[in-house]
Amino acid sequence: MLQMDLDIGDFCSNWAHCDLFSAYLARMVSHNRLDSLLFSNLYSSALNELLETVFRVHGNSGKLECSVRRQGGLDRIELVFPADEDTFAVYREAIDKLSGKDAEKLYLEALFTEDEPDASLGLLELGVDYGARLAIDRAGDGRMCLVAELTLEDENE
Amino acid sequence: MIAENSTQSFQWTYNENDQEFALHGSLRPQKAEELSKCISALDQSVSNVSGKFYVNVRRLVRMNNVAFHAIAGKILDLVRGRSDLDVHVTTSSVVGWATRKFAVLETMSEKITVSEYDSEFYPGQSFVEDSEFIHVLRTQTKLTWKHEKDLLREHGLKPGMQVADICCGIGDFAVLLQKEFSPDRLVALDHSKSSLDYARQVAADFGIKGIDYVFGDAADMLLEDDQFDFVTCRHSLQVFDRPELILKELFRICKPGGRIYVTNEKNSHCLGEPRGESIQWTYNEVAKLWHHFDMDIEIGPKSRRLLLEGGFEDVTIGSFMVTSTDGDPQGFADIIASWKNLFAGKMASERGDDAAFVERFAKGFDDHIFAALHPKGYAGWPIWVASGRKPL
Repeated sequence: MLQMDLDIGDFCSNWAHCDLFSAYLARMVSHNRLDSLLFSNLYSSALNELLETVFRVHGNSGKLECSVRRQGGLDRIELVFPADEDTFAVYREAIDKLSGKDAEKLYLEALFTEDEPDASLGLLELGVDYGARLAIDRAGDGRMCLVAELTLEDENE
Repeated sequence: MIAENSTQSFQWTYNENDQEFALHGSLRPQKAEELSKCISALDQSVSNVSGKFYVNVRRLVRMNNVAFHAIAGKILDLVRGRSDLDVHVTTSSVVGWATRKFAVLETMSEKITVSEYDSEFYPGQSFVEDSEFIHVLRTQTKLTWKHEKDLLREHGLKPGMQVADICCGIGDFAVLLQKEFSPDRLVALDHSKSSLDYARQVAADFGIKGIDYVFGDAADMLLEDDQFDFVTCRHSLQVFDRPELILKELFRICKPGGRIYVTNEKNSHCLGEPRGESIQWTYNEVAKLWHHFDMDIEIGPKSRRLLLEGGFEDVTIGSFMVTSTDGDPQGFADIIASWKNLFAGKMASERGDDAAFVERFAKGFDDHIFAALHPKGYAGWPIWVASGRKPL
């Protein structure tokens, strides 16, 4: 298990943090995979979308914790970050969309919208395109927990 | 004409001859406006094009949804606004997310097609992936290893190093490296999924652990910069139409002060007695045949120049000869028989050679086998070994 803690303000001081952290963590967790390079690239893409979502939608102040762990072929990413009710509602809405029958349709609509892409697009992508299981919960101390469980490698390939 | 521009971590290139707009690098902007120059360049590139316009994202390693939304939206605008235009997007199987992500464009318009570039990293890839060729490759490695085991030490390989074997093929050389040199880390990369599957299976069957077999394009690897003490690339510059691109990548992933090690052939110098004249004629023709398929099987002695021009220092070059007197004349003969099958078979046929040529061409291989197995004969296959150090 790897965990990264930092102040949400520090994290959001630079957009490049999303890319840097996702690339770094992906490299750290890519050992002993069927193909470490392919895995690292996919993992980085998925984690980056999660981090970009948190970068855009989060509460005012507090700590961001990002922990990643592996159990066999399943990789779990857990993000705990400050979230008021409005913030939590954004994530809940995205999770609700993913649990519906038309999740793929909603993802494509979000992907090709004429407007600015919605902040939850990354979550929809993870759920539909990466087949990730997403869950949210209240974490106390004004924060929320976002969990993504991913199976990025097909052991039968 | 090629126009090129760059922002922080990505580039775009337009090749007018191919009507192809290519994106390279990492594309994770915060806002779509950050791509405005790129989108303008795309607009400008397509303005004089009718028919099929190619968007190449093979070298696009990372892309977030902001970038995808902007680029994909522009592609959709183009095909919807221009009745004379179709767009083809080329992705890479090396980049896991790319094909899946771009494939959704096909669902948005019949005028957009998306395909995965996979099979043409090397002009000769279809030849060397032939399952029959695997046996040849294994025998070749067995015979060359006798020489290379010591040469690798002379060129600077030591136990405990961080090592990469690029274009590892079926992975047997990596297994030998692992056994002989116990590297601290060993990454073996190849562009053939079937070869890697074979390599992983062999490693598992033999209980070999610690080799990280990865899929990748040697000319544009996902491996990070300055990682390896020793990088090997054997018999591969010769099957690539632009070897300098591979060397550039070998240089990039090598640590400053580390070395890269390349082996290559000069097939026209294959020799044998008796029947030397026939053998010589055939191998001269082999060189021409490979040239026809944009490969240079004569590259061996050119390795020194390639390394020096690639920015390496302390370049060392030498050669060794695998011969029928190394202790396995039948193994040597088997290699030549496989060359005959491939060169005078599939490759000559694809070039359209006539029966008379093929007969004479094949006879030189038969004569080489004859020399190898003749009790008083001698047959040789020369290989050039070069290494160079990446400056500190």
